[in-house]
Amino acid sequence: MRRITRRRALAEALRGSAALPLAAALPLSAGLAACDLTATSTPTSENDSKNQSHFGSTVRGTWGDPVGDGQLRPGPGEPLVHRTELGRRAALGHPLASLAHVTDAHVLDASSPARVTFLDRLGPPFQSTFRPQEALTAQVLAGTVAAIRALRPQAVIQGGDLIDNAQSNELAHALAILRGGRVQPGSGRDGYFGVQLASDSDPFYYRPDVDSPRHPGLLRRASRPFTSPGVTGRPVLPVLGDHDALVAGELVPSELTRSLAVGSRALWDLPAGLSLPPGARSDLLASPDGPPAPALVDELLTKALEGPTVGVPADPSRRQLQFAEVQSRLSALAPATVPRTAERLDYAIEVGPQVRVIVLDLVRRGGGSGGQVVGGQAAWLASELARSGRRWVVVVSHQPLDSSAGGEPLLALLDRAPRVVAVLSGHTHRNQIRARATSAGGYWLISTASLIDFPQQARAVRIVATTGGGVAIQTWMLDHVSGGDLGSIARQLSYLDAQGGRPRGFAGSPADRNAILYRRPSRS
Amino acid sequence: MITARLGPALAEARRGLRLRRRRSLLTALGIALAAAMLSAALVIADGLGLGFDRAARAAGLPDVIVRFDPQSRSTVAQRISALPDLAGFATRSELTNVGIGFAGRRRHDAVAEVVGSGPRRGYAVVAGRDLRSRGSEVLVERAFAQAWGVELGRAFAVGGLGPQRVVGFVEAPDNVGYPLAKPRFYVSRAAIDARFGREADPQVNYAEIWLRNPRYLDQVLVQARASSFGLHDLRFATRSGVRVLLDQAAGIVIDLLVALSLIALATAGAMLAASARAEVQRRLAAIGVQRAVGAPAGHIALAQALEAALVAAPAAALGCAAGTIATYGPASRLLSLLNEPAPEAALVLPLLGGWLAAVLIPVAAAAWPAWRATRRPVVGLLRGADVAGSAGSAPGRLARAGAVIRHRRGGLAALGARLVSARRARLLATVITLGLSTAFVLLLLSLASALSSLETDPGALGKRYQLTASLSASQARHVARIPGVQAAAPRYEVQAVDSFSLGETIDVVAYPGDHTVFEAPPLTSGHRLRGSGQAEIGAGLAQALGLGPGQTVALALPSGRELRLRVAGVISSLDHDGRVAYVPASALLSADPGARSQIAVKLRPNADPAPVTAALAALGAEPAPTSGATARGAPLVAVLRTILRAVAIVDGLVCLYALIQACALTVQERRRTVAVLRACGAGPSAVRRLLLGAALTLVVPAALVGVLLERLVLGPALARLAASYATLPLTASATEVLATVAGLVLAAGLAVVWVARQAGRESVLAGLAA
Repeated sequence: MRRITRRRALAEALRGSAALPLAAALPLSAGLAACDLTATSTPTSENDSKNQSHFGSTVRGTWGDPVGDGQLRPGPGEPLVHRTELGRRAALGHPLASLAHVTDAHVLDASSPARVTFLDRLGPPFQSTFRPQEALTAQVLAGTVAAIRALRPQAVIQGGDLIDNAQSNELAHALAILRGGRVQPGSGRDGYFGVQLASDSDPFYYRPDVDSPRHPGLLRRASRPFTSPGVTGRPVLPVLGDHDALVAGELVPSELTRSLAVGSRALWDLPAGLSLPPGARSDLLASPDGPPAPALVDELLTKALEGPTVGVPADPSRRQLQFAEVQSRLSALAPATVPRTAERLDYAIEVGPQVRVIVLDLVRRGGGSGGQVVGGQAAWLASELARSGRRWVVVVSHQPLDSSAGGEPLLALLDRAPRVVAVLSGHTHRNQIRARATSAGGYWLISTASLIDFPQQARAVRIVATTGGGVAIQTWMLDHVSGGDLGSIARQLSYLDAQGGRPRGFAGSPADRNAILYRRPSRS
Repeated sequence: MITARLGPALAEARRGLRLRRRRSLLTALGIALAAAMLSAALVIADGLGLGFDRAARAAGLPDVIVRFDPQSRSTVAQRISALPDLAGFATRSELTNVGIGFAGRRRHDAVAEVVGSGPRRGYAVVAGRDLRSRGSEVLVERAFAQAWGVELGRAFAVGGLGPQRVVGFVEAPDNVGYPLAKPRFYVSRAAIDARFGREADPQVNYAEIWLRNPRYLDQVLVQARASSFGLHDLRFATRSGVRVLLDQAAGIVIDLLVALSLIALATAGAMLAASARAEVQRRLAAIGVQRAVGAPAGHIALAQALEAALVAAPAAALGCAAGTIATYGPASRLLSLLNEPAPEAALVLPLLGGWLAAVLIPVAAAAWPAWRATRRPVVGLLRGADVAGSAGSAPGRLARAGAVIRHRRGGLAALGARLVSARRARLLATVITLGLSTAFVLLLLSLASALSSLETDPGALGKRYQLTASLSASQARHVARIPGVQAAAPRYEVQAVDSFSLGETIDVVAYPGDHTVFEAPPLTSGHRLRGSGQAEIGAGLAQALGLGPGQTVALALPSGRELRLRVAGVISSLDHDGRVAYVPASALLSADPGARSQIAVKLRPNADPAPVTAALAALGAEPAPTSGATARGAPLVAVLRTILRAVAIVDGLVCLYALIQACALTVQERRRTVAVLRACGAGPSAVRRLLLGAALTLVVPAALVGVLLERLVLGPALARLAASYATLPLTASATEVLATVAGLVLAAGLAVVWVARQAGRESVLAGLAA
């Protein structure tokens, strides 16, 4: 590493051109002040990208388990991997746009009686119904927002499943974190009242006060109010996810679930004799954020309600939301050009003069977690692609197009579009980057991990022109950062979770995380 | 410089040895005996105290063993693979009640471990080789192979599989060996597949898990528990849990042995030091002469140290060898029963250390007083230092001696007492040595009594019922009506673990009503349980979990449910190392409706158990007498007795040596006095009376010291070292004290006779001229 003296650093800073080298020599805590990675001010040479010192950037440093003992420790950064499936390596030119992709935050009300945590013990496909770190989702999102503030992208794509159980208070908490404001996690008068209490004698739930790793007082601290500065002026582009408007990402709220949510009776125990019907198990590679069949959940919930319940504090703020209200409240985050009252949250928006983002809403209005393309979406997409002209296009959806019902025709449209450079998605909770080579030049299918399961990362995406008219995407993961230790505890608990992202490989390979994705010049 | 000093000092030490050949031999004998005791203690302490760790290392014992009802291997593997901190795992099927046969002998209750082909197995092959993926082969547990005389290469019949070739013997410390447990053998999955056809996804009921960092065991167990739903009758056993399970059979025996050895170590060290110090005290006059002729203090101390070293080094080596030979065999047999390897080469270093201690202690104990003596005035040293008063002139002594012989029969004994008391430091050292030996013998006797009581007396566990009957709970009232039965009730017992420290196993016992009718271990704090939300816990559990009355104990049951109860009281129980909990049956059954039970049968006072047993058998039960704490460890107790016997013999020899040395030294130093007595007409009996007085002067305070030491120090220390969770009865009884004192007096008599004979061989003139 180049040695930087104080005198030299000061001189370079005064010249206004040495932010990055200075940042490279500073510790992480000092990086916030030093880095400015907006598209207009950041040098984009390959060397510079290696030396980026983001606050939360995994290029500089990230968490790892080098000895494999289940304990995360701060480790070295991960360099950007050159991926040339869609084009040769080329010198990086000026930046075209910078984005942050944060998806599947699953901000949840861990005290909600409408949660079906007891289904977790049935294993796949219900492993998402309880997580050891679930009381800390608000703090994790706040830590991610802090990392995004340091990144200073041109726009923040909120990739869907911002909340977990379609509850009004969950959405209020999540939106307050994103746009800034006071957040009071949880619900009810006692702050936390759920299955993780030490007084709960069900050993299948991790209880931080008594189970290992012990964190006495964690639940109390998790429900303390805090203030989030938000993303501070960056536009947020919302994407609708299944959990935003469906109970457990699966069920359309019904009279039963609505009354359960605001009421004073909760289901904590799996009723005796209740078991998964034969053949209901899905394989572990399936989406972790919701079971695949609403009928199955409905059936299990109905049966479960016949069993014993636990008294909990009632709270009307847990009201379950309708699709229209969710869309409206999410759209309020977005720039004014995003439609507020449309039937679906499909829209397109320019990010800078040379990049256009097209957002698709694939959530099933009738229930079910998998994506679904509805009538008219293909035509709308085609028209938006046509309107994009010479701008590079990034398509975003919550569920991946290639696993959504009716997604193939849309992919075929994209295949023919010469300026489509990337398709971003969430839902799978997995970091993954795949090349889709087409005759028109191809594009990258980029999936970003969730904030609730390990690795709890968001993604930075920077589109850069390359010499010869091509384009490249510099992408790297962002770890959440926070002032206290709650975020670190959440990350560690998510890592330990035997049903979580660690055993299921959600972090992906290095090439799925930090990479430079080359794409040859457009043929049109 | 040092070499220059060493040469003359060494020459002087050699000269001293030549001059005092017989005394040196006697000293060497003492050192050899103490070293023998030391090495015996080391063999036991190292062999048994570290046996489990050694076995676990050799066998690659997993950090966690999980037992459950049969499940497909893929399901189990999938769940284990997801655990954090995982270094590796293996699954197997554990089949019980398997028929076996070898050389005409048959059994139908063997345990077959069907192992996969992975590199981790959790056992150590101690002879022969491991299983190969093909072939009809078995590995047999060594303890069982020894008991049945199983030989490598021979055919071993397995029910359903036919003859299998024995290719190796193994030790797996996840359980005790035969006959403490059922015979066990290992067979490969491939052999089962070859016989019954290959199963794509066979059922397994046993998993072994190895961790990268066992420090995070609790975190792994929490995750394992959280993802174990659907696995029935799930039981985790950690390494510490396995150790506790082994302790159920052997723990108290081993703990007692190890504690005894530690005390023996301290005792032997004290004896060595006392003996060496006494030797220097005897030479104070000689040191005075050396100082008078100008010998430097350093030279004198060095010569003393070298002389002690020249005597101690070979004597300690011989003693160490003898002690090792005497105890290594029995200790190895004991270890073999526990599936633990003999220490072998691992013992070399501790024994070397023991030898070094047996040399250095006398060297230091000789050099230091010698060094201090050289600092004292030469005149005082030449006058005999600690000799009380002056013996006066020779004619005066003759006159007094004649008066003693003529007029006072007890006068000779009193003279002997005066003679031995004259050397106060030596008197003190000898009394300490004898006192320690006496205390040690008393300890051995009380230990033997305690073991016998633990083995045969259920009352030692607080059990007040005499029989158990394998009948359903509903039949308790029928049993209660049998003549001779005072009370009968279902006794539920399950193995649980602490919910928050999953490695801590707990024996949970429940009765429907007042459990103190059937079991009432003494309460040490709190009160008896009242109401369904309370529990009484053993002191071992209370210590392990830091619990006390008023706090909550959380029990994770095999059913997967958790039972939380308030601790009403803490009891002193030897059962399961004190890791027991008495809970109300209603609470246990609500959390674990399938808890297994037997009927506990309490007989009327003086009732004959035979007709009750017959009546129970008529009801279809298999009645069994209630056992003691070490009932399963009966073979261990037998081995322990052998070891105790060996140690007791060595200890008895130490006593005899100490007495002979004390008497012989007295006679040696008082040659002129003895010669004067003989010149005045004293015969051999008079000399014996003189020596008897000397010996009794040593024996009486030693006996007193020994009894007090055992009662106040060693007994409580041994009990605390062996089992801090319960009160062990380790105080010697009056009979034992009397027997020990009698033995001491007998040893004194033998010493007197032997020394008197030696003294009689010297001519009176030679004695007078000395």
